[in-house]
Amino acid sequence: MTRECALLLPGVCAALADPRQPGLDDTCLEKLLDWFRSLTWFDPTVELVQDNPCLPELITSVLALPEPSPSILSFTLQLAGILASSETRFQHLQEEKLLGRLFGREGPRGGAAWEEASVRSAWVKGVHSMVHHQPALHFLCTMGGMDVIFALQGDPSLFVASAASQLLVHMLTFSLESETSKPLSTKDCDWPACAQMIIKHIEESLQSSSASHIEQSLKLLTSLFGSCFGSCYAAWTEVLWLDIANQIESFLLEDTVKAQHVLANLLLNVARSPVFCGTEGSFWALVTSALEHLTPLQAGPLAVGLLKLCKCPQDVRIQALTVLLQPMDCILRAASQPLEYAGLLDESVSDPVTVESLLSSKTSCAGLLCQTLAHLEKLLSLKHLRVDLPCVSLLRSLMTILQFCNGFLSPTSPLGSTISRNLINCFRVQKSALDVLAALSEKKGCDTLIGSLFDVLLAYLQSPNTSPTVLKKTFQATSKWLVHLQELSCSNSQWQQTEKILEDVFLVLQKRLCSPCWEVRDSSLEFLTAMVKCLRDQKEFRQSLLSSEVLRLTENLLEDPESYVRASAVTAVGHLALITYCAPESPVIGNPYNKENTVAKLQEILSTDSEGFPRRAVISIFTKWLREGSGQLEDTEQFVSRVIQTVEHDLDWEVRLGGLELVEVFCSQTICQLSPCPYAPVSSAVSSPTPQNELLQVFCRAKLFGFLFRSLCDCDKPVGQRACDVLIGLRGHFYPMSTLENPQEIEDSPAGRGIAWLQRTLRQGSLAQNFPTDGGDGVDFQDPESMMLALGAIDLLELHDELNKSSNHVEESPQSLLQDILATMGTIEDNEVDCY
Amino acid sequence: VSLVSCWCPGAGQDVGRSCILVSIAGKNVMLDCGMHMGYNDDRRFPDFSYITQNGRLTDFLDCVIISHFHLDHCGALPYFSEMVGYDGPIYMTHPTKAICPILLEDYRKITVDKKGETNFFTSQMIKDCMKKVVAVHLHQTVQVDEELEIKAYYAGHVLGAAMFQIKVGCESVVYTGDYNMTPDRHLGAAWIDKCRPDLLISESTYATTIRDSKRCRERDFLKKVHETVERGGKVLIPVFALGRAQELCILLETFWERMNLKAPIYFSTGLTEKANHYYKLFITWTNQKIRKTFVQRNMFEFKHIKAFDRAFADNPGPMVVFATPGMLHAGQSLQIFRKWAGNEKNMVIMPGYCVQGTVGHKILSGQRKLEMEGRQILEVKMQVEYMSFSAHADAKGIMQLIRQAEPRNVLLVHGEAKKMEFLKQKIEQEFHVSCYMPANGETTTILTNPCIPVDISLGLLKRETAIGPLPDAKKPKLMHGTLLMKDNSFRLVSPEQALKELGLAEHQLRFTCRVHIQDPRKEHETVLRVYNHLKGVLKDYSVQHLPDGSITVESILIQATAHSEDQGTKVLLVSWTYQDEELGSYLTSLLKKGLPQSTP
Repeated sequence: MTRECALLLPGVCAALADPRQPGLDDTCLEKLLDWFRSLTWFDPTVELVQDNPCLPELITSVLALPEPSPSILSFTLQLAGILASSETRFQHLQEEKLLGRLFGREGPRGGAAWEEASVRSAWVKGVHSMVHHQPALHFLCTMGGMDVIFALQGDPSLFVASAASQLLVHMLTFSLESETSKPLSTKDCDWPACAQMIIKHIEESLQSSSASHIEQSLKLLTSLFGSCFGSCYAAWTEVLWLDIANQIESFLLEDTVKAQHVLANLLLNVARSPVFCGTEGSFWALVTSALEHLTPLQAGPLAVGLLKLCKCPQDVRIQALTVLLQPMDCILRAASQPLEYAGLLDESVSDPVTVESLLSSKTSCAGLLCQTLAHLEKLLSLKHLRVDLPCVSLLRSLMTILQFCNGFLSPTSPLGSTISRNLINCFRVQKSALDVLAALSEKKGCDTLIGSLFDVLLAYLQSPNTSPTVLKKTFQATSKWLVHLQELSCSNSQWQQTEKILEDVFLVLQKRLCSPCWEVRDSSLEFLTAMVKCLRDQKEFRQSLLSSEVLRLTENLLEDPESYVRASAVTAVGHLALITYCAPESPVIGNPYNKENTVAKLQEILSTDSEGFPRRAVISIFTKWLREGSGQLEDTEQFVSRVIQTVEHDLDWEVRLGGLELVEVFCSQTICQLSPCPYAPVSSAVSSPTPQNELLQVFCRAKLFGFLFRSLCDCDKPVGQRACDVLIGLRGHFYPMSTLENPQEIEDSPAGRGIAWLQRTLRQGSLAQNFPTDGGDGVDFQDPESMMLALGAIDLLELHDELNKSSNHVEESPQSLLQDILATMGTIEDNEVDCY
Repeated sequence: VSLVSCWCPGAGQDVGRSCILVSIAGKNVMLDCGMHMGYNDDRRFPDFSYITQNGRLTDFLDCVIISHFHLDHCGALPYFSEMVGYDGPIYMTHPTKAICPILLEDYRKITVDKKGETNFFTSQMIKDCMKKVVAVHLHQTVQVDEELEIKAYYAGHVLGAAMFQIKVGCESVVYTGDYNMTPDRHLGAAWIDKCRPDLLISESTYATTIRDSKRCRERDFLKKVHETVERGGKVLIPVFALGRAQELCILLETFWERMNLKAPIYFSTGLTEKANHYYKLFITWTNQKIRKTFVQRNMFEFKHIKAFDRAFADNPGPMVVFATPGMLHAGQSLQIFRKWAGNEKNMVIMPGYCVQGTVGHKILSGQRKLEMEGRQILEVKMQVEYMSFSAHADAKGIMQLIRQAEPRNVLLVHGEAKKMEFLKQKIEQEFHVSCYMPANGETTTILTNPCIPVDISLGLLKRETAIGPLPDAKKPKLMHGTLLMKDNSFRLVSPEQALKELGLAEHQLRFTCRVHIQDPRKEHETVLRVYNHLKGVLKDYSVQHLPDGSITVESILIQATAHSEDQGTKVLLVSWTYQDEELGSYLTSLLKKGLPQSTP
């Protein structure tokens, strides 16, 4: 704690304890606790209590209040807990007899204040902070604290209940790992008292007839096995598990407990714990039985979790996969004529009738499918899946689902027609299926179905019934599969199919670009950009694109009334430019779009558009062009100069930031172009200006330095930081390390005075009104010599540090917090509600 | 009996982070998805992990509803939909959908600008999130799915703010969001019909306050601005891009016009253009006065207010500048503040609350020497004023809304515990309904008595009306029929029609009983004796002796046979339908007593 803070603290404590003061904003109290927490965290031995007697005094005076406000009481409980987290501070507070009055029987529990959820929550948090040493554990066990915690597990407030459960996990783990020296093999009287109490409580609750008690204990066990991987290595977790395994099994089989999803979570967490990584044993039998007995909806999360595990017996894995594939299998069977497709599975884990009935019911059909599809998507995203996914059948069943949803498939089987009735127009299922479809595009072996897949996708793209959100997903899936299609046609030379598909895609895209709904126009443009990014090198793609109306329509959208659409149009036009007239190959003949036109249009947007998104899009496209372009340096120089003059006055700092990025790219490219190749033979005749000078001249002509130096003083910090980075980069080029060793030398030079003044000005921060403009006595940003000196003289590294500190150090410093609390007390009226 | 349960990850007894989860007849709806501006870490968003415990968010939640564009109601939405992973439908009104992204973007820019945060939602995420939004019109019933429907009502407060009715079958909940029961300069008053929801979830910001007229505060504001400008000073008004800013712009614009003032008024950032555009676009959402004058002059086309340029801050002479952000914590407004703070002629007016740590908070709490970046000390000599313009319903307004909607239960959120307690008692006393005020994380469960609408077949209705008086809406009437539950619909039809529709044959259920009588005579004689006995006893009933030798009493049938082993004993077989259960039982007991000896 700094001296300033230590001086402010007594005043703050006195103010907090004063009941006449109006309540403080809760965030202040929370931040104050954060500060104490960080103080004790970084230095557990810090003597806060002895050094700051105002702290125990604060606790004493709050306890003396007849009716402390819930917020100040909650604060005090948490503060005491944090202070008591070390043994010495705990003893100090004990000597003052404070802890018993807070956390013991004389404390707020049972009183009127206990009615407040915030007080109960603070009590639990306080205890949690405190339990980091044995005396605290002992204190709780003897003061009847354990029963309170047990009871709070069933608190009406979810937050309190969950915090109580977490606290028990913490206490059990802490007690077992700190109080026992020898490894515990079987549960006996060796176990520490606190651990015994908790375990007895768990066992009793599991055997009780109360469903809520059982559920609480299951949740506690779940977080015990799930949260502390470290302690799960300990043998005691295995002992504990063996003790309760039978009980868990009976819950699974008896079906009397209505907390099946908690059971599934518990089993998954136990499976993840390293103790049970062996593939033998009764545990995996229990898991298998769970996969069989839980309903497909309950077993789904368990199955997908098991498939992610590295160590899991293969037969369990296969069974888990089967659980996930069952609904997809059922869909295939329901859709097919008898014996057309064999379905996905040879045998199922649970009775297929269960899945059939779930899919037949209107209420559960979409839910089961969405969950299954989400799990499958997760599996497809895994790098190492240790079982084979039947991708072809999966794709077929996905297509079937999508066809059910848009009514394109009317199966004859009664089950099929029921499912298709349930699914028609179901956006949720459509979106989930399209997500899986997109993920499946990266898997091999689905090539035979690709034609019919595009039929389905195109049907979705064309249908007026497709909702904008579904359309967006369809676009995403389509662009992924188009990439796959291209790869495929490269290998088997079936260009015709590809051309036909692309033609259809562009036809539908033309229609969608004119949609009255901005979401659709925007998604269409995003789709177009995604396609261009992936397929720009493909001849068929370029041909289909240029023969369509898409280019013209996209340019029209640069004037869209919706700014999001304008921005996407800018991005799309920018990418299209790269394959039409910026491409190194000869531009396509008859193309009515030329570069000058486009550049002019984009520049107009940059200088006149009233909204930030399109302007930001323009500047990032310009940067992209510059990165990829091969234009002449002179053109580029003028271009960059024009752009930064526009950007400099932009009100959106992200546009200015984009401008700096453009400058950075321009600088590095120019340096590359003008610097001599280090391996080139050195010419003896030095008639032309040195590369360094030429560089400086280019930069000055492009008016880079004015922009960069002014940006250092920008009112928005990221701009200043970026400008500083660019300048540091430039200095590195113009002043190799060796020449910068003695900056004094430069300062003393005749031109140095002006530069030193600039430096002072810059150091003073964002005093932009004092900053010189060209001419007058100010710095001439276009003079190469001054700029060279400026680069050398300004301490950019120090400036960089200063800018990086961010304004947060004022806002988040404890001193500022304490000052604010002191200033606020008694001065601010009750105006918090005006926040919004 | 059914349940409506509701829990608040972040709106109960707390201002900031509105987020309420309602379960109604098996449907789960999230009401608002707000953020807390006072925190820079995880605490700024509601704790969604409690919802994800129930499985995938998109599967668990049926929809999300956003009441209005303020960040404490929508600020966590892009985080929720693009980072936590909710992919289902989101509903808000058209103006909210248009304005929400502006504010989110504004806030993102400030956050990223100031803290260089990377773990925050991006512009692209805001856009992707807005693409998932379904915009609704006022009073339009939107079918979320086959069972769940929602409907928006006008809430005042800010442009596009709405209260939402959520309905599943006959159970319903109304969520008010923030609302205002008195019209202000540019918006009208909240209104809802007598929808009698099972639960009304109301904000209670001003639970105990009876607010004075906003006019006084407005006059005060204009006076202060005017005085400063008159003495040649500059006025800085830090605002967020949209909302309060437009309100104050209208105020100043009309005042400038009336007083013929010449000092320039500037609005920094290009955001205002779009904001004003939306106010023009959604003119139907503003109040009557603005709509009326719209034809002659659009209130949002400002004559005196011009776009700001960074160089203007150094111009001499008086001026008024609206600059973002609103709490003086970064960017333009902070830069202008630094320039003007040293001059006592100038003034800064904070039209809203500022969170701890910001320069706005510091100057409002009276601090005059501020440490700025680079350890410089900035001395604040300019005048600092605070003005409250927030538009929430006060205690009177809340009571008025309850009177309008006539809910069966009330739940208070978005307020301070102590104040809410006071209002709760008042509501319970006056309306005799239960009132709840759950803390964050607490679940409130309410029992409802769902009434299930049933269609009645015309035939049955005609038959019933033929018997009794004509149907009267005020007098409930009991009707009998067969209830058919088919394809989620309920129909009451006559039993005959039910049989026909279901293709079932009618079966008759008869009770039978054997009664033994000692009588050595022939069977037909015994039958005759029984007949005479019954005819004598049951004078009011139709007792018949049929040619086949059996007797009927109404629908009850009696046949006699000789006992197979003992010819002296006759067995009477009595059989009746369940409709005649009473008479059947009576007959049996009568026969069990035996036949009178004297009968000839």
